[in-house]
Amino acid sequence: MTTSQKHRDFVAEPMGEKPVGSLAGIGEVLGKKLEERGFDKAYVVLGQFLVLKKDEGLFREWLKDTCGANAKQSRDCFGCLQEWCDAFL
Amino acid sequence: MAAAAASAPQQLSDEELFSQLRRYGLSPGPVTESTRPVYLKKLKKLREEEQQQHRSGGRGNKTRNSNNNNTAAATVVAAGPAAAAAAGMGVRPVAGDLSYLRTPGGLCRISASGSENLLGGPGGASAAPTAGSKVLLGFSSDESDVEASPRDQAGGGGRKDRASLQYRGLKAPPAPLAASEVTNSNSAERRKPHSWWGARRPAGPDLQTPPGKDGAVEDEEGEGEDGEERDPEAEEPLWASRTVNGSRLVPYSCRENYSDSEEEDDDDVASSRQVLKDDSVSRHRPRRTHSKPLSPLTAKSAGGRLETSVQGGGGHAMNDRAAAAGSLDRSRNLEEAAEQGGGCDQVDSSPVPRYRVNAKKLTPLLPPPLTDMDSTLDSSTGSLLKTNNHIGGGAFNVDSPRIYSNSLPPSAAVAAASSLRINHANHTGSNHTYLKNTYNKPKLSEPEEELLQQFKREEVSPTGSFSAHYLSMFLLTAACLFFLILGLTYLGMRGTGVSEDGELSIENPFGETFGKIQESEKILMMNTLYKLHDRLAQLAGDHECGSSSQRTLSVQEAAAYLKDLGPEYEGIFNTSLQWILENGKDVGIRCVGFGPEEELTNITDVQFLQSTRPLMSFWCRFRRAFVTVTHRLLLLCLGVVMVCVVLRYMKYRWTKEEEETRQMYDMVVKIIDVLRSHNEACQENKDLQPYMPIPHVRDSLIQPHDRKKMKKVWDRAVDFLAANESRVRTETRRIGGADFLVWRWIQPSASCDKILVIPSKVWQGQAFHLDRRNSPPNSLTPCLKIRNMFDPVMEIGDQWHLAIQEAILEKCSDNDGIVHIAVDKNSREGCVYVKCLSPEYAGKAFKALHGSWFDGKLVTVKYLRLDRYHHRFPQALTSNTPLKPSNKHMNSMSHLRLRTGLTNSQGSS
Repeated sequence: MTTSQKHRDFVAEPMGEKPVGSLAGIGEVLGKKLEERGFDKAYVVLGQFLVLKKDEGLFREWLKDTCGANAKQSRDCFGCLQEWCDAFL
Repeated sequence: MAAAAASAPQQLSDEELFSQLRRYGLSPGPVTESTRPVYLKKLKKLREEEQQQHRSGGRGNKTRNSNNNNTAAATVVAAGPAAAAAAGMGVRPVAGDLSYLRTPGGLCRISASGSENLLGGPGGASAAPTAGSKVLLGFSSDESDVEASPRDQAGGGGRKDRASLQYRGLKAPPAPLAASEVTNSNSAERRKPHSWWGARRPAGPDLQTPPGKDGAVEDEEGEGEDGEERDPEAEEPLWASRTVNGSRLVPYSCRENYSDSEEEDDDDVASSRQVLKDDSVSRHRPRRTHSKPLSPLTAKSAGGRLETSVQGGGGHAMNDRAAAAGSLDRSRNLEEAAEQGGGCDQVDSSPVPRYRVNAKKLTPLLPPPLTDMDSTLDSSTGSLLKTNNHIGGGAFNVDSPRIYSNSLPPSAAVAAASSLRINHANHTGSNHTYLKNTYNKPKLSEPEEELLQQFKREEVSPTGSFSAHYLSMFLLTAACLFFLILGLTYLGMRGTGVSEDGELSIENPFGETFGKIQESEKILMMNTLYKLHDRLAQLAGDHECGSSSQRTLSVQEAAAYLKDLGPEYEGIFNTSLQWILENGKDVGIRCVGFGPEEELTNITDVQFLQSTRPLMSFWCRFRRAFVTVTHRLLLLCLGVVMVCVVLRYMKYRWTKEEEETRQMYDMVVKIIDVLRSHNEACQENKDLQPYMPIPHVRDSLIQPHDRKKMKKVWDRAVDFLAANESRVRTETRRIGGADFLVWRWIQPSASCDKILVIPSKVWQGQAFHLDRRNSPPNSLTPCLKIRNMFDPVMEIGDQWHLAIQEAILEKCSDNDGIVHIAVDKNSREGCVYVKCLSPEYAGKAFKALHGSWFDGKLVTVKYLRLDRYHHRFPQALTSNTPLKPSNKHMNSMSHLRLRTGLTNSQGSS
């Protein structure tokens, strides 16, 4: 499926210290919620993604629980992280 | 309650949870604080699944799903009020359940039934209705339009679901779409939309006003539902079959869909979009609704929808939209209308203008290059903006593209209009905002440019204005001073010309010397003297002013003059002369004999009379004063200039000295390095002599063409070493028959000196493999922006940027297409700009640089627009000679060489 600009931007380079809002699917509101939970950087979410063994269902579920992401948002986020891992891990 | 439902397994410890999950064949990751709830839910699901399987004996997915639905629904219903309050985990897990179910296999129409009310159709999200869900479909149609239901129940229901889904996040396209698709596509929906989506996007023709739609949708939804479960895929099939209206709307909606989460990001962007006011307003709302987790109002909205559906009749707008649709479609329209509610009119009235506004902006963004260019955009939107801000509100923080990427290319309209706003918003301190705007506006109209790049511009140098200011002040002061001096001098001159002084001075000595003279004689004498004085003064004045050549009056003439004036003056003439002579003070008349220095003892010697206080006309005085002042000023200026020159010269000398000293120290350091390494080499290789002739060292360090220039530096370095360096001893040795002054490194062991030298300014390898995903597929422009090459606060000295340039050239040494390099010394991100001969060379350089480690930092590269590059570096316009590293040492590649044994290691592409 075609990806958004945000997705492409994120996957194009190492995430470094990018904020969590730079993940595809994570906008301002979700980003704030994640930050409140302690996931203030993209790499923390990446950590969670990896801890959940890159499982789509679990990760999306977790995302929904944590910040209330809807299906599309969680799918975007998952896809973004998955691709990033494929490219850089 | 959902909470209760979820809490049942909470007594499980982590290990137990883990093992239980294992039993189901799962391979769970670590159960931590954050993963616990997820795993709990999963466990619960697995358990239920198990139960289902036991019970129904393999009804399969559907059953499971429907069961789950039921349970979900039940729990949801139960949790309704709770959800209303909690809007959080309570309900979400349930919904989550559904979504989770949906995800792995669940293309089934979970949507269903009662759950819809609260979940607002999250269930309905699933695209592919299964057979079993038909029942649910029917149920779900409750939510939708009452009028719609009589139509194709299943279809309608399905459509409703989709519609409701669509409304949520996706700026639902008009009703017309759907219906046919609904019945057709089922399981394939999920797949199809994707491909269709992909096909659709690039094909995107004009974009019509989904904003209109959005507005409508939003108004309606209000705070409604949580669109979390909306499945955008559901819409796709609808759009595929879209008719005129629909097709136009779809692409835009698609983009919207994809970007909705991003839109949330750019609230400011959206909010600042004044051009698309309507849009922003309407867009805001979906976002709001989006972000709200299962809000308690889902129920309300569902109810609301029912109500408004009744009002569906009022939707003339709907009629417009539904134009192409059939009767089936109308149901959807009505739904929409219902959703729109009050927003009807608004939507209706403005679709056309919006369309125009949008189409203009959106259309250009669709072309295929979009996909290509996007990847080259600077993804670190946030950081960029930050950078921009940091760069002193960089006057030209241009980058509509930059902003553009920030604001999501898909929402193209945004970029066009909002980049300007973003500039405003983000660079409040910028003095040159207006410049930016004016500059940006023409650029913005070209969408490709927006897509492409970002560029920073530095502030226009303020020094010009600075000096102009000072210059004006200086001139003003000089003028005032001049006039002041002029006035004073004038006054001074005037004083001398006044005859009153003469009068006063004459009065005083009178009493003493001529006591015997009578009063009348005195007066007569005074008058005589006055007359004489005047005459002489006049004469002198004329002489001084240049009009007459004669300054003195001979005695005979004076006598004749006096006789003219009156007979009484004659007699007193001699007495007056006598008096003048005897009176030593200056009375204004001086008696002069034939020669200039003659001593006059007797009046008979006096031949000429001269006035010591010439009387000059005003104009003459003024002129003289002027001339004097000018001369003085000139002298003053000359003096000042001299001082300045001297100071400049001293400064120049001083800098030169500094420079030379620095060079000298550099040289000393190099020499020490050479000697030390030679010493180490000697330790290993006993054949070498432990000393090095000084000339040899010099010749190895200094290039032949520099030797003459550096002679002075070298000599100083040698002296310095002799005087200050204790580890080096200067000796004389005979080498090959000739006497040489040699240096010997005498530090005994290398261990104490072996400080771990941290590599500085060296390339350290590649971080990741460059492939299609993390780099653009083809080179786009010949200009590159390389980031993270240095940290400006950490750099010391003046020449470090040269080292950076060298490093880049060396890394790309096989690429002879680099024609211009510019190190931005002030950039916080450590940016270096490079221009190549052509995009192919740039691509080569990109591959060599992107993702490499340099000096402990990960370097990233992106493409820049050529015209922007030229605008910033005009000198790059004319440069077309490939640059090469200045020497063959390849210092920055040393680590790579050691490691890989290659002289030039580049990342494979």
